[in-house]
Parts: sequence; C-alpha cells; structure tokens
Amino acid sequence: MTSPDNATTPEPTAPSPLRMPKQRAPPDAQSIASSVSTLPYRASNASVSSLFASTSTPTGSRSASPSGARPTPSRMPSSSVFGGTPGEGQQLPPSEYSDDPRNLILQAFVPHIAVHSSADTEELVKDKGFNGGLWELLRPFGERVHGKVTVRDSIGSGKTWEDYAVRFVQLGDGLETPEARKSQDGKGSALNGNPPGGSDLASKRSRTGGNISQIESLVDRHLNYTEEFPNINAEDYLNFKNGQLRNLESTSPFYTLFLRRVLSGIPLAPHETFSHPVACVIAISSRNANPIEALRNLYTESSNGPKKLPVWVNNEYLRYYVLVHDEERDDITKSMTLFDQMKRHFGLHCHLLRLRSSNCVATDDDSVQLPRCQWISASEELAEIQAREMQEDVEDSHPCIYESDMTAIKTFIREMVTQSVIPSMERCVSTWNDQVASRRRGISGRFISLSKKWTGFGVSSRNSSGAGVGTGSSSSNYDMSQGFYRPDAPEAVMRKLADYSFMLRDWRLAQSTYELLRSDFNNDKAWKYHAAANEMAAISTLLIPQAISSKVRSETVDRMLETASYSYITRCGASYGALRSLALGMELLRLRGGSATDDAARWGSKLLEYKLVGAIGDVLIKERVSVCYSSKKGLGSELWGARTRKSALWSVQAADSWLTLGKLQQSKQRLEEVSEKYSSLPYPDSISKFLLANDFLQGLQREVQLALYPASAIETPGGMDLIDTTIGEESEAFDSRPHRRSLMGATAPALASLGSAPLHGTLMEGEEETAPTIQFE
Amino acid sequence: MSYYFAIIGTQDNPLFEYEFGTAKQGGDGVARFPEQARHMNQFIVHSSLDIVEEAQWAQGQMYFKCIDRFYNNYVSCFMTGGNVKFLLLHAPSQPAIANTSRASTSIAANPTSPQTEEAIKQFFTEVYENWVKTIMSPFYHVNMEVKSPVFRSRVAAAGKKYL
Repeated sequence: MTSPDNATTPEPTAPSPLRMPKQRAPPDAQSIASSVSTLPYRASNASVSSLFASTSTPTGSRSASPSGARPTPSRMPSSSVFGGTPGEGQQLPPSEYSDDPRNLILQAFVPHIAVHSSADTEELVKDKGFNGGLWELLRPFGERVHGKVTVRDSIGSGKTWEDYAVRFVQLGDGLETPEARKSQDGKGSALNGNPPGGSDLASKRSRTGGNISQIESLVDRHLNYTEEFPNINAEDYLNFKNGQLRNLESTSPFYTLFLRRVLSGIPLAPHETFSHPVACVIAISSRNANPIEALRNLYTESSNGPKKLPVWVNNEYLRYYVLVHDEERDDITKSMTLFDQMKRHFGLHCHLLRLRSSNCVATDDDSVQLPRCQWISASEELAEIQAREMQEDVEDSHPCIYESDMTAIKTFIREMVTQSVIPSMERCVSTWNDQVASRRRGISGRFISLSKKWTGFGVSSRNSSGAGVGTGSSSSNYDMSQGFYRPDAPEAVMRKLADYSFMLRDWRLAQSTYELLRSDFNNDKAWKYHAAANEMAAISTLLIPQAISSKVRSETVDRMLETASYSYITRCGASYGALRSLALGMELLRLRGGSATDDAARWGSKLLEYKLVGAIGDVLIKERVSVCYSSKKGLGSELWGARTRKSALWSVQAADSWLTLGKLQQSKQRLEEVSEKYSSLPYPDSISKFLLANDFLQGLQREVQLALYPASAIETPGGMDLIDTTIGEESEAFDSRPHRRSLMGATAPALASLGSAPLHGTLMEGEEETAPTIQFE
Repeated sequence: MSYYFAIIGTQDNPLFEYEFGTAKQGGDGVARFPEQARHMNQFIVHSSLDIVEEAQWAQGQMYFKCIDRFYNNYVSCFMTGGNVKFLLLHAPSQPAIANTSRASTSIAANPTSPQTEEAIKQFFTEVYENWVKTIMSPFYHVNMEVKSPVFRSRVAAAGKKYL
C-alpha cells in the first residue's frame, strides 16, 4: 500500500507516537493517514482544541507552508521538541508556495458531485458510525483525488494535475434560504425547488456557505482560541523560526481561513453554475432486496421527483450508479452478479464499492482517522465547534474507518472522476463550444446579438411569464419576472460551458466565453448574471499565465471588477458576491507583482470602503492590504518604488483595530511588523519625527504590552515615567531596537543560540518583560 | 474641507506642519479633523512619500497634483528643487463619492476637479516663494525645522487666499 501523497510528508510518522500512544498502527496505514490530514498537529486529549488545531493550519494537508503551520496551537509542547518540527519537512518549493491563494481558488471552484443514496445504504453507513450517510463518508476524500488527473482542454492538449478535487454534496444541498434569495433579488421564486422537509432542513441550510457574518464569527472563534493559548503560540515562533517574521508576505492563517470559508459552500444559484451538480452518485447497498428497481426510483426522484433541483438547474447531468457491498454480511458473488446486471442496464458509469459495515474504533488494528474536511461552510464548522464544546468527554471523537475502506473509497473516487466525470465534462464542453459558443463568436453571431439589441426593446420579456419564454420566442431569453434563464437558453448553456471549462482549468476558453456573456447579460439587464460573468472573466483573465501590461489590465481586469462589484452591490444587493470578486481579484493581482500590487491594494481599500464585511473581516482585509503593499519589491539599494511606508500604515491600522477587538496577540504581531518595516526604510524610523504619529504608535505598543503582560508595568516602573521623552531620546531608543527584535526571531545568529536553550513558556515571558525597558530607555 | 500641510525634508523628517480649514464659502478657516484621529494625517502623509518618490521620476513638473488617497483623504504634492516636498492632505467634509456625479465646481466638495488642482497649485507656488525666502536665512541648515512665525503666517495667508 503505497501512497504518492507521501512525497509531501517525508516524516509523517515522527510525531505520531506522541499523539496517540495507545494506537499502534502499521507504518503504511499511518503514512496514508497523516498525509491526507493534518494529524501530526492534533492534540490527543482535547477534542475541541483538535478542531482548532486542524483548522488554524488551513493551508493544511497539501501545501503546508511555514506560514500556515506557524500558529499551530498544540497542547503538547513536547511534540515539536522531538522528532523535528512538523512543518519543516513539508515546505513546498518556492514557486508553488508563493501561489497559495491561487491554489485556494483552484480548489474552490471544483466540480460538485451530488450524492443520492437509498435508505438501506444510509443504514449501512450508519452502522459504520456516520449519521450523515454515504455523502459524509465520501466527502473528505473528494478534496484530493488520489493520483494524477489528466484533463484535455478545448484544443485537445492534455494537462496533468496532481491536486484535482471534487466536492461531494447531498442532492439539494446549497440552496439559499428563500428569505435570503428574496432580499437579494427582490423577488421570491416559487420555482425554487421543493423545500426539503423537517429536521433535515436546518442541517441542509448549514451546509450552504456565503454568509459573511457567520464566516466572521468562525474566524473570531479561531482567534479567541489563539488568544487563549498565547504562550504556546509564542513558542511556535521559535519552533518555526523561518516563518512569519522573515517573510512579511506570508498569508495570515486567519485570512486564509476567512478566504477559504468565503469560497466553501458556494450557494446553488441561477447566476452561476459552479455548485450545480456535474454528476450525481446514485447509490444502493447490497442489502437492498430489489436493487434495479431501487436505482430506477432514485433516478426518477432525482430528475423529476421530490428531490428535483430547481428549474434553473440543468437536469441533464451525469448519473453514476454505485453498489455498496457490505463485506461482512453479504455474499460477494451475489453482489458481483448484481453489479453485472447493473452494468447491463446502466452502461459503464457504475462502480462496486466494497465496505465493511461494522463500526471502526480507534483501537482497532487497521483503523485510520477520517481526514478532516477542509471545505466545509462556516456555519457547519461553527456548529461542530459548538457541539464539541458542549461535549463533556475530552477524548477526540473524530470517527475512524478501516484502512481497506479508505482504499476502496479512494479508488472509487479516482475511477469515477477520471473515467466518468471528467470525460463527460470534456464532452459537454466541446459540444457546447461547437454548437452554441462558436456560433456566437463568428460574424453572424455578432449580427444576431446586434439585431437583438435593436429590436424588441425588452418589453415582451417583461410581460411574458415563465412558461412563455422559450428560445427565440421573444427578443430576450431572460425571464425578468423570475430572474433567471431557462437552462436550455443559449446564454445559460454558455455560462455552463464557461464554468465547466473553468473547473477543468482551461482558463482561456472560460475567459473568452465569459467575455461573450458579459455583453449578452448586459443587454438583457440580467444584472446578477452580469456581475457574476464579469467576476469570473476577471478571475480567469488573471489566472491565465501570461503577462498583462498595466494598460491592458486597467482596461480589462479593473473594469470587470468594477462592473462586477457595482452590479453585485448596487443592483443586486449581493454583498457576498462582491466580497468574493474583490477578494479574489485582490489576491490574483497581488501575485502578479509589480504595479499590479498597487491595484491589488486599491481593490482592498475599495472593499473596505464598500463596508461589505464586519469588524473581523475589516481587520483581516486591512492586514491583507498591508501585505499587498509590502509584496511590491523596490529596486536597488534605496528600494525605489517599494511601498514599505504604505504597508506600515496599514499594519498600524490593523494593529489598532485588533487592539479594539481585544485580539492582543494579533495586535502584537502587527506592531512587530510595523517596527520592522519602519526600521527597514532608507531613513529608519522617520515616523518618529512626526510627534502625534509617534505618540500614537508608542501608546499602542505600550497598551498591548500592558494588556498582555500586566506584571511588566510593576516590574519596570521606568516604562511609565518615560512616556514624554523627547525626540532625541527616542531616536536613541530605536538604535537599540534591533536587539529586541532579534529575540523575536528576525536575525539568525541570536535565534540559533536561543533555539538550543530549553523552550519554556516562562522563558518567553521573561524576554517579553524586559522588552519595554529596552524600548523606552 | 480640512487641510493638513506638511513640508518634508530630505530624510523624511517633517520641517513644518500646519493644519487649517477652508476659508471659502463661509468657512472659518479651522481644521475639522476628528481629535482622536489627528495622528492619522501624519501617518498618511508619511506613507504617501512612497508614491511621491515614484512620481518624482515620472513627471517634469514640480507640482504633482493629487497623487494619493487614503479613504477620504487626498494628498497633493509639490517637489522643490532641494528634494524638499510640500505635501497637502485635503479631506472633504462629506464623502467625495457622493459628489462625483454632480459636477460641482466648489473646491471644498470635489477634491480632484481641475479647479481644486489649480487652487492648490497657486497655494503651493506662493508657499514655495516664501519657503525659498525663509531658508535663505544664513542660520538655516538643511533639514532643520522651520519655526519662523513669519513663514507660518504667510502659509496661513496663502491658505486663506486660495483654499
């Protein structure tokens, strides 16, 4: 049993004996377990802290960059003293590591696969200890399809991806709440699909993302957790000494979490088809008495029964039939015959999944913990945290499964994705491209869109209700009263084409299609569609690995982002869409470097001005703007063209806001960055000559210091007396500062000596306490 | 509209600072910066030096117009011969976004209009003349803070006259 994942985690077994001494797993099982999850970081004793541990390293499983690993709040300090620090071996090569937000985007917009299983399958999975059904079992494994996946683009050249992902959802997940939709569009839709019934409703809704305030309260939870265990955090500074301080550009783990939660659980909406199912897994188990009939029933349920998705979802997605065989109770020969029968009936899109039905506990021989899901919506994670906190039991109760089951599931997902889902998506893309999009791209297509613009005047479309609007019956295919296009309208098909090619990572085709759609939606005054098309056009333009001159950029990307945010905010009142488009635009522009970072920062400050986010998001974005500015590198010894001062200003802002929110650790980190930035200027600490600004900065530093270490005020009374020192004395103080920073890990020699010292929290506190005296001397 | 005017020396050190308000349209010439955020002016002006240092290589004029913006604060710059920068931070009393649609000609309402640019240019030119006269004093050294009350009153007069 070998796993290619091992490449990313060369030493995954090292911390495991500490984590769970009672569990003796065979080495190969262990390697798989730790490679697909962040197990090494998990504390064994507290179930709640493990939740935070696994998520406050959100860059997590695959790209564990030093920045992501830094603030790991592990309960056991010993885990990093022995056996090498967990993060160290996992550093990615610089190119991949710097692309972090890009990877996040790739992982966010992935094909969604709905899961619809029969009652007996649910029962089987419940016996295994998963109440959520087959979907819950599959979900973590979809986040990284095992092995390489090859995708052909529109011109037929294949490209191989190591990190392809799919998202498993339950059929019907992701629908927005009717109220939310009503407030966003100004009209409720009766065609919004049948409301799922009863108790199921709440959990279904919780899996829909896109709620900004919930995302923020989740990040707040994580922040509070880090505040609670500051010593461990400070110690991690020493363990991950090559982390944050050296690299000011690195992504704050909380911002990554924020962005990840913004992008997870994309709501099922008419104006974009990312969360529309690309395929549906229809599953029965070997316990079923009447299997073929059950499969047919499930199919009809999904296509026109109670489980049917709203009318604006294209119903012609792939159905994939799965027979779950119970290894322990049922006869494999019988299942094989049944499976052959299934193949005859339903064609090639079938799979026989062999699972053991008994509940697996951690002490079992070949048990592995189910990897944690990275892409759950904020409300779901909040609910999980709350549930864990209520729980008395301190054992980490994360479910386990047998290793053989895990292998079976991985194989199943890989087979389904590479042999069914991706080929069918490719086929759809090429068909739609030939039949719909290329017709529009030609001369006649332009003529059609022109003639459409000058006839009709959009009156008929307003009067006609849902039934009357078919292809070509009126000047516009857009149904004004309901606010969507029928799935067979050319515009809707093109949107789907663009989204499919985006999910297949063929950005050129996606970009050109979005480009066509932009003008179409504008003519039809379908504002939400318009906004979404602009957003994705900008994002796919920025994802194409090709240099864009600043002039072209301001004509295309800037204008698209501008239109997208304007349409989202002013015309639709959809702040989630605006936040997503601006945040992603900012990240991608920042990665382009050079003058694009200025644009990135500009979009960041626009985002703040629009007031789309609450207090926490506001600070996170301030931090991010600061990072945008600091990622612009200057030229020569004088660093011409750098934006250090700008970046410092935004860091000060962030530090101030963190302090207001009571997040002292964060505030302290930002202030350290500020002093580092100011002293790296050609004229170091020129800000200290500005009296008011300097007073403010010093006041901030003092306040944080006092709040973090109240004792320091008593022990060093001189610190208080020196409040109104003169400027001359201040500048002397700054000369002695490099020494203080070196304690925090800026320069290597000091650290090397400190690193060999015993790592106790008390030592760190001692260092901190001496800091103010040095500073104000 | 409130103004914060700063003269920045060659080592990013402030040589002269002055806050004033508009005297046009019945203004009383008093700056209306919120008291708890007055330090922000200095931070903003200091951070704008990043942009100034880039703009100074791209433009032939001494007056750079409005080069930077932080929320509702706009920064205009004038570069003197000795690498001393005049920076004027102007903050319209109401958000500028609301005013872009209606073509307001009043300086106070529209911080990027040509009228405002022209007024600030005249202000800078007058201050520059006074500045040259002041630093011609035999007791003045480079990067020394200017404390002359005469200069301060002349800057105030220029502010009253144009802004």
